[in-house]
Amino acid sequence: MSLELLLIIAFGGALLTYLVGKVSYKGRNFLAVAISLALVAFVACLYGKTGEETFYYGFLGFNLVLRLNMLSWFFAITIAVVGALSIIFSLSYIRGKEKTDFYFLMMLLVNAAMLGIVLAGDLISFYIFWEIMSWSAFLLISYNRGPALAAGMKYIIMSIIGSVCFLVGMLSLYVSFDTLNISQIAPVITSASSGYILFILTVFGIAFGIKNAVLPFHTWLPDAHSEAPAPFSAVLSGILIKMGTYGFLLVLYVIVGLKLFLGLGRGLFSFHSMLCLLGAVTIIIPTFIAMLQTDAKRLLAWSTVGQAGYIILGIAFGTNLALVGGIFHFFNHALFKALLFFAVGAVEFRTQTRDLDSLGGLAKKMPVVFIGTLVGICALIGVPLTSGFVSKWLIYKTLILEGSPFLAFFALAGTWGTILYSYKLIHNVFLGQLPEKHKTVEKAPFSMQLPVVVLSVAILLFGILPGIPLKVINAISTSFGFESLNVGLWGITSETGALNTVNIFAAVLVAAALVWLVFHLAAKSVSVPQEDSYAAGAHIPKDKYHYTAEFYNPLHRMIKPFLRDVINEFYYWIASCVRRLSDSVRHVYTGDVGHYVIYIILFLAFLIFVQVKWKPW
Amino acid sequence: MVAKVIKIILSPILALIVGVFFLGLARKIMARIHWRYGPPLIQPVIDMIKLFYQKSVSHGRMFDLGIILSLAGSIVVVLFLPFGRICPLSSSGGLLVILYMMLLAPLGTALSGGQGANPNISIGISRKLILSLGYEVPLLLVLLAVMTHYKTISIMEVVSVQQSTSWSIISFPLFLSGLSYFLILPAILGIRPFDVSSAPQEVSSGIMAEYGGKYLALATIEHAFVLFISTALFVNLFLGGAANPVIFFVKMLVVFVLGLCINAVFPRFRIEQAIKYLWKWPTLLAFLGLIITLAIRS
Repeated sequence: MSLELLLIIAFGGALLTYLVGKVSYKGRNFLAVAISLALVAFVACLYGKTGEETFYYGFLGFNLVLRLNMLSWFFAITIAVVGALSIIFSLSYIRGKEKTDFYFLMMLLVNAAMLGIVLAGDLISFYIFWEIMSWSAFLLISYNRGPALAAGMKYIIMSIIGSVCFLVGMLSLYVSFDTLNISQIAPVITSASSGYILFILTVFGIAFGIKNAVLPFHTWLPDAHSEAPAPFSAVLSGILIKMGTYGFLLVLYVIVGLKLFLGLGRGLFSFHSMLCLLGAVTIIIPTFIAMLQTDAKRLLAWSTVGQAGYIILGIAFGTNLALVGGIFHFFNHALFKALLFFAVGAVEFRTQTRDLDSLGGLAKKMPVVFIGTLVGICALIGVPLTSGFVSKWLIYKTLILEGSPFLAFFALAGTWGTILYSYKLIHNVFLGQLPEKHKTVEKAPFSMQLPVVVLSVAILLFGILPGIPLKVINAISTSFGFESLNVGLWGITSETGALNTVNIFAAVLVAAALVWLVFHLAAKSVSVPQEDSYAAGAHIPKDKYHYTAEFYNPLHRMIKPFLRDVINEFYYWIASCVRRLSDSVRHVYTGDVGHYVIYIILFLAFLIFVQVKWKPW
Repeated sequence: MVAKVIKIILSPILALIVGVFFLGLARKIMARIHWRYGPPLIQPVIDMIKLFYQKSVSHGRMFDLGIILSLAGSIVVVLFLPFGRICPLSSSGGLLVILYMMLLAPLGTALSGGQGANPNISIGISRKLILSLGYEVPLLLVLLAVMTHYKTISIMEVVSVQQSTSWSIISFPLFLSGLSYFLILPAILGIRPFDVSSAPQEVSSGIMAEYGGKYLALATIEHAFVLFISTALFVNLFLGGAANPVIFFVKMLVVFVLGLCINAVFPRFRIEQAIKYLWKWPTLLAFLGLIITLAIRS
C-alpha cells in the first residue's frame, strides 16, 4: 500500500503542479518543492522494509507488481534527494523562461518515473516506467530548442533502440518461463542453457548500456548533457543514466545471479571479462576526450561517461569489494556530478556563458560555488577525505589483489587524467584573472547555493564516515549472496588490508594545523590586486590573460590525432545511409495517386503475363 | 602508544632534515659538475630562515590555503612511508593511500598558483600536470607490478618480504620495474632534464612566479619533502627498505646522488619530448615487468 501511495504522490504531484502553475507561479514553486521533499521523507521512512505488492491486476493478463528491498531503497533515496535538490535549483534558474509549468511537470515526472523503475517488481511495469522516463527526458533535453533539438533527437533514437532490445529480452523471457515477475524468473532461469543466458545478457546489456553510456553506446550523452537545462543535466548525469546501472545490477545479480554470470565462457573470452574490458575502455578514452573540451558542461558530460566506466567495471568484476565499490561509486557520482553541474549551472546563470576560454577569476565573486566545485572535483578525482576516494579504493584494491593489474592500471590512469580535466575546469572558471566583463558578477542566488552546500557537506561527511552508506551497500551485496564485509563507521577492516579514514583525517588535520601555524607566525603578507603580478619586467595589459585557452596545448597536439570519435562518425554514417535509402524510396512513393494506379496496373499486367506465359496457378 | 606518538612526531622531522640536506647536496654536486665551488651545504636552511622574515604578497584566500594544503599533504605521505622501522601509519590503506595522498601536494600548489593570476604560473601548472600524467603511466605500471608480485597493497609487507628474501631490484621480473622507476625518478623529482614546469629562463620559475617570502619558503620545504618521498619510495619498494634509519638514509643517498649525476649533464627537455621519452622506454620496461610478473604469478 505504501509503495502505491509513494508513486501516487510522485505522479499525481507532478500533474497537480502543472495545474497549479496555470493559476499562480508561486504556488507552483512551493508545491513542486514540497512534493519533492515529501518524497525524500517518504522514501527515508521506508528504510529497511522489504515487501512486494500487486498494484494492478490483469494488465494485458499480467499483474503489475511493486517491490521494495535494500537495493531499490538505496537507488530510490538517491533519486529522491538529487531530484529534490534539482527542483530547488530550478526555482531561480528557470525564472523568466518560457513554459515553466511544463518544465516543472517534466522534472517531477522524470523523478516519479525513476522511482517507479527502481520499485518495479516485474518487467512490464519496469518497461512502462522506463518509457515514461525516456520520453520526459527527451522533452527536457530539447527544452532549450536550437541545437538542443538535435541532441534530444539523437538521445531518443538511441533510447528507442535500447527499448526495443529490452522488449525483445522481455518477450523472450516470457516465452521461456511464462512469467515476468522478477522474483519468479530468478529461480527458474538456472535451468536455461548458457547460450540462452548469453543472449538475455546481451540484449539487456545493450538496453542498459545505452542508458548508462557504456562505450560504444555513449554518443548521445555529451550532446544531451551539454544542451539540457543545468538542473536537468544534474539529474541526467547524476541519476538518470544510473538507471542503466540499476538495470545491470538487476539482470546480472538478481535475475541471472552471480554464479551463472561468472560462469559464461572462459578466460578472456567470457562475458564477465568482456564487460570488465568495456568498463576499462569506457574509463580511459572519454577521460582523455574530456581534457580537450572547452565547454564546461561538455567536459563534465565526457567525465560522466568515464566515471560510469568505474561503476560498470566494479559491477562486472563480480567480487564482493568490487561490487560494493561499484555501487558506492554510483552513489558518489550522483552526489558529486550533480554538485558540479549545479555549480556550472550557477556560473552560467550569472555570466551567461560556460565557455572555459572566456571565464576566470570567479572564486572571489562566487565563493560558495567555488568551494562547492572544489569539493566536487576532489571527490571526482578521489582525493582522500571525500567519498569518491573510498569507492575507488575498494575497486582498485580488489582489482590488484585478484590479479587484474591491467584493469587496475586503466582505472588508476583514468584517475590521473581526471586530475587534468577537473583542474582545467576549476582553474578556467574560478582561478586565474577575472575578465573586465565579469567584474560585476553577483554571487549565486540562495536557491542555487543551497543544493551546492548540501551536496558538499554530504560528500565530506561520507568521505570521513564512509560507514554510513557502506552499511546499506553491504546489506545489498549480502542479499546477492556475498559474505558480509566487516564495515565500521570509519571504513573497512578485512584480513587483506584495512582502510581507516579517521587516521587519514586526523593526520591531514594536524599537519594542516601545524603548517598553518608556521604560516601564521612568519612575516605577514600584503594582499595585492590581480593585475599586480610578476612578469619578468614586462607589462601584462588588462584582459590579455589568454593562457587559459588551450590549457593543455602540448598534450592536445600529441593526442588529438588519436582521439577521433570513430563510433559517433560510424553512427552518423549509418544515419546518412538510411536517409539516402529513404530518399531513393521516395522516388517510388511520390504521393501522387496517378503513379500508384500505374504501379497497380503494371503489377497486374505482370501477374497476367506470368499466368499467360507459364500458367503457374 | 607513547612510542607511536614519538614516531609520528619524529618521522616528518627526519624527512625534513633529509630533504633539506638533499636540496643543499644537489646544489653542491651540480656546482662541482659545472666546475664551480657552489654554496655551502646549509645554504637552503639559511635561505629559508631569511625568507620567513621577508614580506610577501598574497593573491587571496586560496593562494594561502593551497600552499598550506600542499605541504600538509606531503607531511601526511611521510607518515605513511616506512623510514627504516619508523612508520607510524602504514597500516591504514597501504600503497594506494600513499599514491593518492601524493596527489594533495601538486593539487594544492596548482590551486594556490591558479589564484596567483599570472600567465607564467598557468603555463607552469599546465606543464606540471601534463608531466605528471607522463610519469604516472610508467609509475603506475611499476607499482602495480610490485603489488601483483607480492600479492599485497601494504608497503610494510613489501618491505618485510624483501628483508627475508632478496631485494626486488635484483629479483627477476621486478628489476625491469626498478629500472623503469629509476629512469622516471628525475621526472618525479622535477629536476633536470624534466624541470619544464619551473624553468626559470622560460616561464619565470613557473608555479613559483608569484611566491615570495614565506610562500617561497613553504614551497621549498614542500620540494624537500618531495625529494624525500620519491627516493624513500624507491628504497622501500626496490632496495628492501632497511632495518634502521641510518642504513635507509645511506641507500637513499646512493639513489639520489646517482640520479643527480646522470641527469645533471642533460639539457632541459621540451614538454612533448619529455612525454615522448616517458611513454617510450620507461613505460615499455614497466609494461614488460608487469606482464612477466603476471605470467609468473598465474
